[in-house]
Amino acid sequence: MQAEGPIKPFPAPAGQDLDNMLLERLSKKPFSKSSIAIRMSMLVLAVLTIYAFSSFDYKDVKLWDALILTIDNLKTMFFEPHLKHFTFTQALYQVSITLGLAFLTTIFGAIIALMLGLLAAGNISSKPLSVIIKGLVALIRAVPTVLWVLIFAVAAGLGSVAAVIGMTFHSISYLVKAYSESFEEIDKGAIEALQASGANWWQIVFQVIIPSSITYIISWTFMRFEINFAVAVAMGAAAGAGGIGFDMFMASGFYFDLSEIGAITYFILIIAICLEIFATQIKRKLKEAS
Amino acid sequence: MKTLLEVKNVSKQFGNGTKALSNIDFTVKEGEFVSIIGPSGAGKSTLLRCINRMIDATSGEIIFDNDHVYKVNKRELKKVRRKIGMVFQHYNLVNRLSVIENALHGRLGYKSTLAGILGLYSEEEKLQAAKVLQILGLEDQIYKRSDQLSGGQKQRVGIARALIQNPKLLLCDEPIASLDPNSSKVIMDHLRNICSSMGITVVVNLHQVDVALKYSDRIIGVNGGKVVFNGTTQNITSNDIHQIYGSDEGKLIFDLGGSHAG
Repeated sequence: MQAEGPIKPFPAPAGQDLDNMLLERLSKKPFSKSSIAIRMSMLVLAVLTIYAFSSFDYKDVKLWDALILTIDNLKTMFFEPHLKHFTFTQALYQVSITLGLAFLTTIFGAIIALMLGLLAAGNISSKPLSVIIKGLVALIRAVPTVLWVLIFAVAAGLGSVAAVIGMTFHSISYLVKAYSESFEEIDKGAIEALQASGANWWQIVFQVIIPSSITYIISWTFMRFEINFAVAVAMGAAAGAGGIGFDMFMASGFYFDLSEIGAITYFILIIAICLEIFATQIKRKLKEAS
Repeated sequence: MKTLLEVKNVSKQFGNGTKALSNIDFTVKEGEFVSIIGPSGAGKSTLLRCINRMIDATSGEIIFDNDHVYKVNKRELKKVRRKIGMVFQHYNLVNRLSVIENALHGRLGYKSTLAGILGLYSEEEKLQAAKVLQILGLEDQIYKRSDQLSGGQKQRVGIARALIQNPKLLLCDEPIASLDPNSSKVIMDHLRNICSSMGITVVVNLHQVDVALKYSDRIIGVNGGKVVFNGTTQNITSNDIHQIYGSDEGKLIFDLGGSHAG
């Protein structure tokens, strides 16, 4: 049989008539429930915003003057930074205390969370145990770190002990969720294969689970370390845990030294950027390895 | 020859009420190569996993090497399991570990918990692993990461892991379903060789009737959770095969003439 001729081209466009027909179709966009809901809530939000601005009690603050003064303060803070109540070396030492607080709580949290994460992962633990642990850590996670520190301050007194316990507590709950979810993503085939060969639970954990999820474990732990650094700064001020946060609290609440606040902010910013660069590099290395 | 595996009246009902297996009965002799064939969803995989209790059967009895698999405790079950090697369709290797590390996983059942956790294997075990890998033609890949291997190579690592257990029985759950014809032949040749020269009994789930006819001593046909055929490869007729798959005469692709080449 002879092959058929070349594939037929698309029919030539019918011109204006077709365009009009399609435009008409396009204009008949179906009016769904969700689009009504979105429009209604946008409208309500707009009305509330206008009402709120018109009903503010501004007291004697004049918007323009206040704005100028704020900018002036920011200028003092960031363009004329200086250290007055302590030296550069001391500041560096204080930053290292804050870093130490973050490091300690992350390590404590990671070790305990690794164990709990294994018990919370649905694929390698029993169902009820997994549900109980997951529920418990969700509850702990729902309360902010600062509150946990203040709660533990009742027993330990305001200071570094309460900060360490409280921050560890929240780190555990955060990391248990992160770890157990990465464990659950592991291909269950390899676990099955080792079960079938007579390996026990601990052997499966260390020969399958940990090797398969090590990159996730490291990147989540580092992520928590970054969070803990920020929290440790706040804890220095809020819970008297020491470190650069406490100096910042003194500079702002005690000496009203805007320039010093600026200098300390730069310190924290530089450390945070360094951590970020370090974290990105680790992640890139891990990605290359996998 | 001695009977190695006896499956008596095994049924399996899943939680949602579907009956996967009903009253399965068969025996496997030492050194036999048995293929289980049947349509998808017939219960082949479930049947295989009931043998080493990866899935617990609802009722019935399985006797493997004089052990009542459903009457032993947890400790003894591990001992039963290490005498049964298992090979999977999707190879089930730990991708981030090297070929030899994956192969050595077969030894874990023999090791103490701590040695297993730390991955401490004796020189003997390492040498045995290297030997098995060499037999399977993987001696150049020993330290490669297993995710760098091709499908056929991965499956050979899977077989190596099972062989290192020194098993009496090899259960293969569709070992060639994800492989190209070339690698499939390599894998099936290895399995046949393991059976003939090492005397290890092989029970294999297959989708390819041709392959089953060519390699096995005996064929067990499963349909709807029941054994509908159980006999030697020589005695199977075209009619039997159509019955196993519940299809009309002439609607299947296979060739009885090609049986027993291996």
